[in-house]
Amino acid sequence: MDDDVLRITGLRRRFGRVLANDDISFGVRPGEVVGLLGHNGAGKTTLVSQVVGLIAPEAGHISVGGADAVRDPAAGRRHVALQPQAQAPIDGLTPRSAIEIAGRLRGLSARDARAAATALAEELDLGPWLDRRALPEGGGLSGGIRRLTGFAMAVAAPTPLLILDEPTNDIDASRRRLLWDAVRRRGDLGSGVLLVTHNVAEAERIVDELVVLHRGRLLAQGTPAHLRGTHDSALRLELRLPPRGDDPSARDPGLPVRRRVRTGRRTLLTVDADDADIAVAWAASQHASGRIEGYSLAPSSLEDAYLALTAPGGSADDVLERDVPPLEEARDA
Amino acid sequence: MHEALTLTAPSSEPPPPAPVQVSLWAGFRALLRWSLASIGAMLPLIVVIQSALAAGIVVGFGFLIPDITPDSALFLSSGAPTILLLTVGLVIVPQGVSRARASGALDFQRALPVSRPLLLLVDLVVWTLIALPGVVIGLLVAWLRYDLSYSFDWPLLVLASILVTTMATAVGFAIAVSLPAMLAQLVSQVLVFFVLLFSPITFPASQLPEWFQAVHRFLPIQPAAELLRAGIASTEFTAQGRDLAVLGLWTAAGLLVSMRALVRRR
Repeated sequence: MDDDVLRITGLRRRFGRVLANDDISFGVRPGEVVGLLGHNGAGKTTLVSQVVGLIAPEAGHISVGGADAVRDPAAGRRHVALQPQAQAPIDGLTPRSAIEIAGRLRGLSARDARAAATALAEELDLGPWLDRRALPEGGGLSGGIRRLTGFAMAVAAPTPLLILDEPTNDIDASRRRLLWDAVRRRGDLGSGVLLVTHNVAEAERIVDELVVLHRGRLLAQGTPAHLRGTHDSALRLELRLPPRGDDPSARDPGLPVRRRVRTGRRTLLTVDADDADIAVAWAASQHASGRIEGYSLAPSSLEDAYLALTAPGGSADDVLERDVPPLEEARDA
Repeated sequence: MHEALTLTAPSSEPPPPAPVQVSLWAGFRALLRWSLASIGAMLPLIVVIQSALAAGIVVGFGFLIPDITPDSALFLSSGAPTILLLTVGLVIVPQGVSRARASGALDFQRALPVSRPLLLLVDLVVWTLIALPGVVIGLLVAWLRYDLSYSFDWPLLVLASILVTTMATAVGFAIAVSLPAMLAQLVSQVLVFFVLLFSPITFPASQLPEWFQAVHRFLPIQPAAELLRAGIASTEFTAQGRDLAVLGLWTAAGLLVSMRALVRRR
């Protein structure tokens, strides 16, 4: 506990009548990548803003690298590098000069800052844009390159704690992979990383721990395997429903479903591997009779578990073990 | 054998990186480079605005006065630099800072491991550098129009220019960080007219109603004009210690409010 690079205890913050953060506690150890998941408005950015001293908590403690970040935000900030959700203000700069400046602001010598810019350009495949100037109104550099530059600025010098708020926004698929690898590498080099994202599927590959926020509350935390459920043999049966179609799985008692989540025109069912043949036969008959437009069977993923957790009616304790009512039912209830 | 025993296995986990240690000077230089690059793009535009404004004041206001005497021309011309400096500080600075607030750029910098007052200092330096050419531009336009001869008091002119710019930038910064963006925009627009038309910069204070003269005794605008005027035409005009005191107080107030807003958490 004591060697946590970030330790948050009982954090609470309200905006008007909305509790943006309600009694949140968790930690990040050095070398560990912790994913902070949650829908829009779950309170993720509010939490991050309190760690770097932009927002004051109402109650609770934040310790960053041993410093009390609530009492002495300036001391806390010396242990943190943040890539915020907003684009880094680099108009007028080239990615190279932006990374160099960020390195200098984090204590690198001019030579080390130059070396860091070159190395990061290599690591993130920024080379062709490295000396192109960002212009006002989004000119000069694309949103994706700006976002990568913001990431490079945050990691220009190693810091005990690295906080990344949606670092993959606007970034193309191939560079996103480079970025995820770069994030993982920062953890392996000894930084504690707090990764705020809603890209659950991709983040799963690189995080050690996950914290799920929902409407300001901590809903669940644990390793991806733990959150996915202990049954690694579980499968996901995805049903694509017709427009305004009922979910046929909701009223069929013969179907052995462990968990059901409806998102829009998709229903995600979790079934045991042993029941796969029953489930597929059922889905095929539904498809043949036109009640569903299509279906697919795949290994259960963290995204399924995450959607189940944050679905209306879900709760932290027992959601993994029971059926979550589909959206419509929950609304009627 | 012995050597083998003393070997220690490499630690599987590297030690966590050390917290940031950066000197004020290194931080200042890096932030200055950043700020100059981002505002630098606006520099040509600001010079154009200042030139147009100078022409407007010196030439345009001249039309209001038929058969302008050399004395009136000198008064008008020696007021032009004040208007240019105040415009940059009270209008362009709040708009820039409001934009930085709205885009998240200000919070980006506030989250950095640098002392937050340093952010204000950097802005003061950069805006002073941008505003100062206004003095030269204003005087040049007036000289071209009226063929005036100035009697510079160089030390006073330099001191007054820096003090007036600092005051205007600090107050402009304070407006932008204490008011909502829309309101800050509005206030800065109103201030242009107040400075341009209702302040004794291009005309003597004695032409204002008594009560308005009293108001201006506590505002920083008239002292700014008088200090600069005394630096530009030192044989015709003198400034008083009181001017310096009023300007200093407004500068301090602007800095205090700005600093507080930068350090405070929401």
